[in-house]
Amino acid sequence: MSNGKTLSMFDRFRVTFEKGEVIFCEYEPGDTFYLIQQGRVQIAKIMGEIEKTVAILQPNELFGEMAILEEAPRSATAIALDPVTALAFNRENFEILLQGYPQIALKLLKLFSVRIYDQKRQFMILTLDDVEAKVADVFLMLAEREPINMAEVESMEFKATVDDIAHWAGISPAKCREVINHFVTQRRVELHPDRIVVRNINDFARFVSTRRRYQERNLA
Amino acid sequence: MAPKAINYKSGSIIYFKGDVGDKVYILNSGKVSLNYLDIETGQEIHELIKTGEFFGVKSALGRYPREETALVLQDSTVIGFAVPEFEALAAQNTRVIIKMLKVFSNQLRRIHKRVQTLLNVEELGKPETGLYKIGEYYLGNRQYTQALYAYKRYLVYYPSGTHSADVTRKIELTEEYLSKYGQGKGPEANPEAEGTPAPVPRAGREPAMAAQAAPAAQPGLQTGDRFGPGAAEPDRAAGGAAGARRPAGDADGGGGARAPSRELSDAAKAYYNAVSLVSQQKYQEAFQEFQQIAGSDKDAEYSSKSQFEMGRCLYFLGQKDACIRTFTQLVQKYPKHPELKEALFYVGRCYEDKGDKARAKGFYGKILTMVTEEDPLYRKARKALKSIGA
Repeated sequence: MSNGKTLSMFDRFRVTFEKGEVIFCEYEPGDTFYLIQQGRVQIAKIMGEIEKTVAILQPNELFGEMAILEEAPRSATAIALDPVTALAFNRENFEILLQGYPQIALKLLKLFSVRIYDQKRQFMILTLDDVEAKVADVFLMLAEREPINMAEVESMEFKATVDDIAHWAGISPAKCREVINHFVTQRRVELHPDRIVVRNINDFARFVSTRRRYQERNLA
Repeated sequence: MAPKAINYKSGSIIYFKGDVGDKVYILNSGKVSLNYLDIETGQEIHELIKTGEFFGVKSALGRYPREETALVLQDSTVIGFAVPEFEALAAQNTRVIIKMLKVFSNQLRRIHKRVQTLLNVEELGKPETGLYKIGEYYLGNRQYTQALYAYKRYLVYYPSGTHSADVTRKIELTEEYLSKYGQGKGPEANPEAEGTPAPVPRAGREPAMAAQAAPAAQPGLQTGDRFGPGAAEPDRAAGGAAGARRPAGDADGGGGARAPSRELSDAAKAYYNAVSLVSQQKYQEAFQEFQQIAGSDKDAEYSSKSQFEMGRCLYFLGQKDACIRTFTQLVQKYPKHPELKEALFYVGRCYEDKGDKARAKGFYGKILTMVTEEDPLYRKARKALKSIGA
């Protein structure tokens, strides 16, 4: 795909970054997305006092693609890990990219499929009105991503922090810590520095579905 | 294996909601409806597929369960593509993908917006503050080039923002550090911070999630928030990427007058330390900690919380009479305690363990009148009543 001819066609979209350079920063508005051609890019979020690496992207991967949708604040920071060459596009010229790189279109299609599902799932969490149910539902969402049958297990371990959970539940980390500490005192959850253990994931599943039914009945 | 044409009789189901399938379909002839519940309104939606249209694309490509049931309304022929077959087809037909991308990006934009609306209500997070904090974080970690980027972007977008004077000063400082010490090196504390120098937060220095790291228990809280990373930021626990930018003292979202922040942080810190002891099953030590907090009355909220935890510790220690006494005090002192019902349940348990079924029955029965059937405690109380033969 990336023969000399195609590349030269895209020369005008090419941008380069030095090692360690910030490509864009969380919270910054942006309308550009990038296709990496050379070098690696670190995607990071700052949560509380910790910089969390969300992903390390390789050549031929895309980032900043949410900019196609709207000029929303960036949800993470992108930093060049090596000297990076990338193609930079925006909403106006991205059809040109797709024609030159149809495999990018497929990549985007997959990315969007996953994103839509994830957003719908998070929407379900956010519409719960009980904050404990929200937190429990975040654990269920994380459990659903594991290739296991939840009905067959009890205890589940998550490599997540309180701040991660707060992020998904749409509550403040302080509030989230309080809820999780409450679960700890109820002995439903164990909190470790590097992971969180849910003692009985099916207990959480029952709890959330009860809350959801209760809420629906009140609405009706 | 080539894509296969499959015939379906009217009334049959191509896939059910919840199925895991790896096929993308195209309707060749006939009539197919996608049935699902709208996630917002809960209403049943029937979406008719036109001939020549694809369906089942998102769940197959994203590898998650089907979100709708595909019902055949008239005898139909569909072609099923495995994902690699679909990819091969799509690579030769960019127009089809671009059309799909537009549909998907519209769907994504819609759901994304709804999620953001819900998040903003809860989070109160402003990009302006967020960007500022990113700069502060990197400066504190001596990642000067990153700090400079964030600060400079801040000035581009918010030239007269809340933090712009501070940011301008920080840019000078950061540039000075960068040339004097170099990336990753430099003084431990930010010399601009007034009062007691506090340690510079460093990535991974202390996991922010440790149970005992109380949100409000930061030293340097009283130095104000103008000098970021040196003087521990007041809302560091609540800051960062996704978090709400709320003052740390407001961890419970309660309004009204509060104890002075210093007292609050001490009480909160002690409380969460003790909670951590409970989770390690060190009930005796935890009890003593809670007793101190409950007795100090510096912070009414943590005193009442601690009173409850004292009772629980005594229960786990098997000291039933002391447990009953402690919870009785709680009921008298805090008649509106949020954990009142749980307290009554523990009292019921104690009486049951002591063999006093009549009293146990009284307490369990009382709980049933206080909570709705949806409350897990309702089930627990009813189960307990059953087990003592009431």
